[in-house]
Amino acid sequence: MRERWRLLDTGASDAYYNMALDEAIATARSKNLVPNTIRFFRWKPSAVSIGYFQSMTEEVDVDACRSMGVDYVRRITGGGAVYHDYNGELTYSIMVNEDHKMIPRDILKSYGVLCKGLVLGLKSLGIPAEFKPINDIVVEGKKISGNAQTRRLGVVHQHGTILREVNPKVMFSLLKVPSEKIRDKLIKSVEERVTSINKYLGREVSFDELKRALIRGFEDALNIELVEGEVTEYEERLASELKEKYSSEEWNFKR
Amino acid sequence: MGRAVYKVKGGKMIKVQLDQREGKIKKVKIMGDFFLHPEDLIEEMEKALTGSPVNEENIRILIDNFLSERGGVLLGASSSDIAKCIVMAGDQE
Repeated sequence: MRERWRLLDTGASDAYYNMALDEAIATARSKNLVPNTIRFFRWKPSAVSIGYFQSMTEEVDVDACRSMGVDYVRRITGGGAVYHDYNGELTYSIMVNEDHKMIPRDILKSYGVLCKGLVLGLKSLGIPAEFKPINDIVVEGKKISGNAQTRRLGVVHQHGTILREVNPKVMFSLLKVPSEKIRDKLIKSVEERVTSINKYLGREVSFDELKRALIRGFEDALNIELVEGEVTEYEERLASELKEKYSSEEWNFKR
Repeated sequence: MGRAVYKVKGGKMIKVQLDQREGKIKKVKIMGDFFLHPEDLIEEMEKALTGSPVNEENIRILIDNFLSERGGVLLGASSSDIAKCIVMAGDQE
């Protein structure tokens, strides 16, 4: 019998709650209060997240975000700045014990293991996705998913994006560019280097269809059964505490 | 203050802000889209570089020693990539 993991679909929330709940689930997992978990979520309003080591003011046009009603948040994970579009992106996170038999100690290898769920899910939609180390998934060389992992308190916590639609113009109106002169060039280069599910397939794939495909992908890749569950009271309470951190200037502008 | 941006082969970006005095690191901030595990080692690593000559080999060894002592792991950027970027920032001052 396959090992059972919890599946959470927490719908669309603001950036601060989204990041707070991720950390709360990882903490709950570390205390053995909840099973290994895979979560799906979206961002409402759309948001920009930056990696732990990035500078908010260097990477993000904060004024543009404010005027467009876009949240901005620092992640607990490294990696780069990401624009999370409400309509364009599905985000997942995985919280699993570090000593789980499926999880290699080597971080790079573990990206491959966890990303395999996404790869299989995308393949089942007819998209020939491949894992590209360190932390990307590509289709015919074009990026369709970016992923980031942290390990804390004995728990592997990985989250990442799956692009359903991509809009580099909006993205670069929110991210800082080295100079206005190269803005168009950057937009063009993202159009060439990044793809999305809808773009590749030439049809509209709904969030539900995408989730169903990824659930099967994760189940097969990790040899697990995903069972729909609920966010616990402990997680909910911790998330509302952590939301204060993620919405604070101190955290978001600390580098 | 000196600043530099260094693109690692394979795509990750390192950004450094450096304050130096008489050829030594006074304060350094290492930013970018690389990975360091555990993440909160970054501030300590920056502190560990204080007082070091702004010299690529010196800085690389300090970073390597710090990481092996503290069990830190860099991904997407190596100690020598970071050292290189710090020296570049020193040249910009």
